[in-house]
Amino acid sequence: MKDSCSSVSELLEKYHDQEVTKQERSLVEDHLSECSACRVLATEMKELGSLLKAPVEEAAGKEDFYWVWQKVQREIQERPRLTWWESLRSRLGVSPLFRKKVWVPALTAAMLILSLIVVPALMRENTSPTKLSTVEYVESPDYNVMIYEEEKGNVTVIWLFDGPDQEAPTS
Amino acid sequence: MNRKILVLLLGLMLFLILPSLAFAQVQVRVRIIEASNAGPSIDPALRDVHDQLGSLFNFSSYRLLRDVNLNLAGNRPVEVPVHAGRSMEVTLVGEYGKMVELRIKITREGLPVLNTQVRLSSGRTILIGGPRHGGGVLIFALSAKF
Repeated sequence: MKDSCSSVSELLEKYHDQEVTKQERSLVEDHLSECSACRVLATEMKELGSLLKAPVEEAAGKEDFYWVWQKVQREIQERPRLTWWESLRSRLGVSPLFRKKVWVPALTAAMLILSLIVVPALMRENTSPTKLSTVEYVESPDYNVMIYEEEKGNVTVIWLFDGPDQEAPTS
Repeated sequence: MNRKILVLLLGLMLFLILPSLAFAQVQVRVRIIEASNAGPSIDPALRDVHDQLGSLFNFSSYRLLRDVNLNLAGNRPVEVPVHAGRSMEVTLVGEYGKMVELRIKITREGLPVLNTQVRLSSGRTILIGGPRHGGGVLIFALSAKF
């Protein structure tokens, strides 16, 4: 083998894989046009490449790459879980309404109104002017009990009788 | 939305809401009166309620034994000692708009005499009477101010 053959044969594999530079390509192609031994070698290399490529392409055509999708899905699921705060922020960030900062004072004002009007209204119970004092319950183990409520006055009386001899001292 | 703004908003809400949920202080005046028919005498300290007592009861004498002003806070019982081993305990149990709810317990020698719960509006009086005392009876006059 000539010296030029040995240097070209080193480039033949790169040439076949189309990894040579322009200069190397012209060098190889010039040599192949002159050297039949190297041309045979290049043809054999090309045939061998075709033999290897055919089954790989056939297998790739049959494969639907389902496993690739599975891997991607696994990656998504393995992402760290968001904290409640991050989750809330992302949800608020999605809504275009909350992107406008005008909602912050508006919501604050609404909450203030609610707390100042609704809460006291809910707490108000039995404010009828005719019911200015009421007895919720009375219990006495030893006494009889009388409850007297003035219709127009502002007094309620709970009277305890400790025996049959004691009469109501009302006028 | 900034995290600090949200925390500030929540804090502001709590600051506004919590005081309205908490009980305010309520002043309750307790007057312990001995009512009897031992001569016509009216304690000058009872002049403001004399007409009321006279229209309700048939006693000729009213004597003020004790006059106590209580500052009640939610669910904290306050004890008022009464004559002859008797004791009264008053507790503010709730506030309902313009009314307060009071639990009143009267005991004698540690034994229960009366257990009652009443709702009062500001300025109204509730009278609890009947237990014998000396030659007459005891009358407890409770009025609330808030």
